[in-house]
Amino acid sequence: MSQTNTPSSNTIAAHDQVLHFPKGSKPSLAPNVWLIWSGSQDEGGLPDLEHGPANITKVLVPFSWWVQHHNESDIAAKAKEGKIGVWFAADEDILKHEQLIEVGKTVWPVVAAHFPIFRDGRSFSTAALLRDRFQWQGEIRAIGDVLIDQLLQGARVGFDSFALRPDQNTDVALKQFDLFSVTTQNSWRGLRTTRASLSA
Amino acid sequence: MYKYDHIDQTLVDQRVAQFRDQVARRLDGTLAEEEFRPLRLQNGLYHQRHAYMLRVAIPYGLFNSKQLRTMALISEKYDRGYGHFTTRQNIQYNWVTLEDTPDILAELATVEMHAIQTSGNCIRNITSDAFAGVAGDEYVDPRPICELLRQWSTLHPEFAHLPRKFKFAINGAKEDRTILLCHDVGIELKKNAQGELLADIYAGGGMGRTPILGSLIKTGLPWQLLPSYLTALLRVYNRFGRRDNLYKARIKILVKALSPEEFARQVEGEWLHIKEGDDNFTQAEWDRVAKHFTKPAYKDLPALTTDQVIAGASQADQAAFARWLGRNVKPHQVPGYASVILSLKPHGSVAPGDATTAQMYAIADLSDQYSFGELRATHEQNLVLADVEQAKLYELWQEAKKQKVALPNVGLLTDIIACPGGDFCSLANAKSLPIAKAIQERFDDLDYLFDLGDISLNISGCINSCGHHHVGNIGVLGVDKDGEEWYQITLGGEQGNDAAIGKVIGPSFYADEIPDVITNIINTYVQDRKDDESFIQAYRRLGVTPFKEAAYKNAKKKEKAAQVSGEDAS
Ligand code: HEM
Ligand code: SF4
Repeated sequence: MSQTNTPSSNTIAAHDQVLHFPKGSKPSLAPNVWLIWSGSQDEGGLPDLEHGPANITKVLVPFSWWVQHHNESDIAAKAKEGKIGVWFAADEDILKHEQLIEVGKTVWPVVAAHFPIFRDGRSFSTAALLRDRFQWQGEIRAIGDVLIDQLLQGARVGFDSFALRPDQNTDVALKQFDLFSVTTQNSWRGLRTTRASLSA
Repeated sequence: MYKYDHIDQTLVDQRVAQFRDQVARRLDGTLAEEEFRPLRLQNGLYHQRHAYMLRVAIPYGLFNSKQLRTMALISEKYDRGYGHFTTRQNIQYNWVTLEDTPDILAELATVEMHAIQTSGNCIRNITSDAFAGVAGDEYVDPRPICELLRQWSTLHPEFAHLPRKFKFAINGAKEDRTILLCHDVGIELKKNAQGELLADIYAGGGMGRTPILGSLIKTGLPWQLLPSYLTALLRVYNRFGRRDNLYKARIKILVKALSPEEFARQVEGEWLHIKEGDDNFTQAEWDRVAKHFTKPAYKDLPALTTDQVIAGASQADQAAFARWLGRNVKPHQVPGYASVILSLKPHGSVAPGDATTAQMYAIADLSDQYSFGELRATHEQNLVLADVEQAKLYELWQEAKKQKVALPNVGLLTDIIACPGGDFCSLANAKSLPIAKAIQERFDDLDYLFDLGDISLNISGCINSCGHHHVGNIGVLGVDKDGEEWYQITLGGEQGNDAAIGKVIGPSFYADEIPDVITNIINTYVQDRKDDESFIQAYRRLGVTPFKEAAYKNAKKKEKAAQVSGEDAS
């Protein structure tokens, strides 16, 4: 499988297909159009999307970079076209930026939360807060060290798309979501079975 | 006892299938060991010194004879003829293979058991009072709450990859038998004047490298709100617990760094937003679960005095039987009944907490015959038959003796809590089991042990403290110095309502010195005690000095033993 989203020093590697699992629908794969910019080499502005791979047309920028640059006119213009989303680092305290996120909700098509390593669960709480506290209705994408065996947990806390690490097998990934037909605690996707069964 | 409904059963069955697939991917190489590790740990599968070890959950220590027979079967079929009951009320098998593990889990699922979250950086198996529901000093039967929280924590998605492991203990009795304050979260259940069930929450306790007692951070929380409050608490920990340093990742470090007041404030701040939601428990949920914890079919029996019970024994047995009654039999809420502790600490045993396949089968039969088919595991690594008719105690004692589980040493010096140490554990700095055995052999005289009375002696093979050495009146800790095994002694630890962390008395000892050191410490107590003072009471009155002097009195190799410091620090 070719990788359009080539890992390089200023992007975060991901599978060239994104796994979408919208609430209420079935999981499916679709080509990825979002470049995940690490922001580590800020060469005076956003990465050049025009001269990269044709299918990559939009960019996820680090939220911390957005905090610095969102008022600049070219950034604002690009954002207006729906070409900019943000990603939250695992250690980003999103509750400290309530106002900026409230405004951002009106312009970002997608937000993402990053897993620096698969066993770092902070972004699970970030996604839960985005859904519960900020009432974010749009897409939340899991990015970074996203492995097959985290998908189920991610789907339940509020992620509805997954940019898997490039080496992950998408066929196995697609099968993860129907492993469990029951739950014993609430999640973004619904009331726990143990409670729902009682009120029925 | 709780009985799975189709939801619980479906969940464990599906969990077996999920793990089977993960193991298959590991075996065919598509899943790397490093990435498999947290997955297998969340299923209690460790890789140890010699083999894989599987830790099977016994939620809040409660199980039945059918389950025990399955535990026995597993020890026979997949292991080497024994199982090990742990300080967290679970059972471990030391010799399983990776390939067999899915089948073992499938076997367990047929009797409503699993290994979910017995390890890993997630919410671990919840522990509670081994005498829950029968203890004479109980305010609230904690088991419905334990069960509701077991369900709430099982495969919780948001808290699947916490900074570190997370342990709950729940108590509802006057005497704390759960070491509540040594847990990441301790839940103390109470009833108010209106009869409403409320919880006090302690956070940030734990042993390990930095032993700390938990702090009270919330009082009077209505039981229904536990899930939302605990979600808030865990969310704060998940987001802000340290992940840069394994040794500083436990919640105790966060609570200490922030101060308990500030931690409580942050939890409260988070909770405000979710306290009204669907997370909370409903009365219908309570009713569904609580109906399983009603009393068994007790008979209407007269309460017997100890003398009456003793009178039922043959003349020749009376002295020994009385001893057992005094140590291993506890009062019960219901007249005519008592709770019996079966000691898994025979002197000279291989390991405290071990039970052989044959013992497990036999104990399962005893529970059917004498205790409504139910059992409990204690954190001291013994087993309990909770509902025994007083009139049948003598009969049971005779049966238990045949199985070598009737030693009347509960609470005495040889009722040692010990981790598997260097014999099994790859993290160990030193062996624990031979030390436990040597102490049991030295103090083999029951008359003497009885005279000494209550003393706890706990041994850990390394600073991780699986053997709870910090809360032993006498603690023994294995330490490594220049590749050699040494043992550090702590004194003054205690579990229970006056929980305390023991203090290191000084330089460490060689293994072969330990029985003498313990003897010297004990002799000091015997000489200096007043009236019927217990060891810990005498220690508190006298202070460390006389004990310390005695310990080093004839430490022949003392000059070679450098103080191993820093082990306990950070
Ligand atoms: C043989 C394999 C075992 C391994 C690899 C292991 C691993 C560990 C580790 C790494 C810790 C340290 C946690 C910390 O940083 O605080 C720990 C603590 C603990 N373990 Fe084990 N353990 C093993 C066996 C056992 C056994 C057999 C028991 C029970 C008899 C047990 C019960 C505990 C308990 C109660 C703690 C206390 C820590 C606390 O309360 O903070 N473990 N274990
Ligand atoms: S205390 Fe140390 S040696 Fe003992 S079981 Fe725990 S990790 Fe292993």
